[in-house]
Amino acid sequence: MLIEIKNLNKDYVMGEVSVPALIDINLNIEQNEYVSIMGPSGSGKSTLMNILGCLDTPTSGSFRFRDVDVSTLNDDALSAMRNKEIGFIFQNFNLLPKVNAIQNVEMPLIYAGIKADERKKRAIEALDRVGLTDRMHHKPSELSGGQRQRVAIARALVSKPGILLADEPTGALDSKTGVDIMRLFDELHAEGNTIILITHEHEIANYAHRSIFIKDGSIYWDKMNENTSENKR
Amino acid sequence: MDYKENIRLALRGLVDHKFRSFLTMLGIIFGVASVITMLSIGEGAKRQAIAKYQDLGVNNIIVREKKFTDQELEEVRIKFSQGLSIQDANTIKEIIPGVLRTAPQAEINTEVKYTDKSSKSNIIGITPDFAKMLNFTAEKGEFISEEHYKKNQKVCVLGAGVAASLFKNENPLGKMVKINDQWLEVVGILKSKTVFTETVGELASRDLNTDIYVPLTTFLKRFSPENTLTSEIQQITIQVDNSSRLKETSTLVESILQRHHFNNNDYDIVIPYELLRQEEKERQIYNFLLGAIAAISLLVGGIGIMNIMLATVLERTREIGIRRSIGARKSDIMSQFVSEAVALSITGGIIGVLLGVGLSLSVTLFTDIQVFIQPYSIFLAFGFSVLVGISFGYLPAKNAANLKPVDSLRYE
Repeated sequence: MLIEIKNLNKDYVMGEVSVPALIDINLNIEQNEYVSIMGPSGSGKSTLMNILGCLDTPTSGSFRFRDVDVSTLNDDALSAMRNKEIGFIFQNFNLLPKVNAIQNVEMPLIYAGIKADERKKRAIEALDRVGLTDRMHHKPSELSGGQRQRVAIARALVSKPGILLADEPTGALDSKTGVDIMRLFDELHAEGNTIILITHEHEIANYAHRSIFIKDGSIYWDKMNENTSENKR
Repeated sequence: MDYKENIRLALRGLVDHKFRSFLTMLGIIFGVASVITMLSIGEGAKRQAIAKYQDLGVNNIIVREKKFTDQELEEVRIKFSQGLSIQDANTIKEIIPGVLRTAPQAEINTEVKYTDKSSKSNIIGITPDFAKMLNFTAEKGEFISEEHYKKNQKVCVLGAGVAASLFKNENPLGKMVKINDQWLEVVGILKSKTVFTETVGELASRDLNTDIYVPLTTFLKRFSPENTLTSEIQQITIQVDNSSRLKETSTLVESILQRHHFNNNDYDIVIPYELLRQEEKERQIYNFLLGAIAAISLLVGGIGIMNIMLATVLERTREIGIRRSIGARKSDIMSQFVSEAVALSITGGIIGVLLGVGLSLSVTLFTDIQVFIQPYSIFLAFGFSVLVGISFGYLPAKNAANLKPVDSLRYE
């Protein structure tokens, strides 16, 4: 089992009251699954994503990632988890504006302590995978939205993480570019990557093979998609 | 992440915001420059003072006859004082322990002639001990010797200035010059001396280079003063074995002279070393003030860095969030921002050192103030600016490192 969540709760303390954001979540995700997490805003899906992405820790319950109990890790170990196991893909790309595509992509490898020439080699490989070899030396401001998202995906792929965690990856893109990005996800899934997709759009969620719906901090349903976009094609 | 990445990152931060970086560094630049300039001006003044007093001898006490009008002189003589005498000099040497030598000297100011050229000079009669007590060496020929003195020979040693004005390019050695109605042979030329532009205690400033030295014996025999009441000699230089004895010796000298001169106060006692120390003390307060001003400007420079760094951290919250989300540890963020602050202060420090050295040099170039750039002041100012960078970069860096990744990613 890649991810094993048991009786997980997350409370936010606001002044003297604590507001529950996630209530008794139980969830298992296996290697090479393609999961979408849906829910209206305020449902707790962002909180769940932050916990899955090791950006935040649960208030109670357990979250095991490859049999490591993440809730007991300190800040440095969480950073290492994010660095090695999590590939984040954000709605607004979150690239560093002052550096070019290669430098953006090799950033995680810098923090992993990998030598410069190896970094560069792997960054180019990752950019090649997303089809951006010809735009490697451009800064984000010189790239289109779709290209920026591809750079971000390359950055997520470069450290060969356990999961790709995509938060509304098509939210800032026009629908045609969005479809291109979702096809890329399909391919990456086919190549063996585990993908978790956070979205509020049904169309996007349908690309995944399994859908989880969250409402009011709890899992409302968790089911396999019979008609995935992948199957339909 | 290794330090090379940090340095690269920090330098890129500087280059990306050239103008802001420059403004941030201004405080450090002026702080460092002012530390260096102030220290080098202070040191220059100190060296100039030491050179001045060294010519008078740091182990010497100088007793000099007071300048009197003819009438005042008469009054003193009526009260039995004969003025300074060779006897005074000998008594001081015999009675006071620790006095190594005394050098009486007699002076007149008169015309010196060579062929058709003439010059107004101080003719100074001295004993051979004079040269041993003061830093006098002949550049050409010799100084007044034991033999010249004992056989009261008609010889003289010229100061560099008077030699130049009388002889131009001729070699003065062996030539005869006429002083009053006496012909004297030139046996030596002195090295050029520093010209005092300020008075030292009661000693009036004058150009030593126009002096002409003759044996005291010759002087007393050949040159009679216009006023017959004039004292035998005009100055006694007293050398003690240790500068710590200067004060007590001068007290003893004073009591001896009081007795010999029947309580007539017709002389001044000057201790160059004491004056030097006093001047140094005054300068120390002054230097301390200057240093404090420079240190404050460095401090203000540091606060400037902190200010901008704090603003930078806020502005770059999102960047910090991105870096954290892809695996930067707190310590990585911390060292990134400290490195930036240090890069700012080091760059500012280097510019400040250059500016400070330039300022010091132009002070000498455009004014007559002497400066001396102390190598240590460069290291001091530079080291201090690095320290400022680290200590004032620490707080903003800590703020940056402690941002929560989740919050900073959401920051707009």
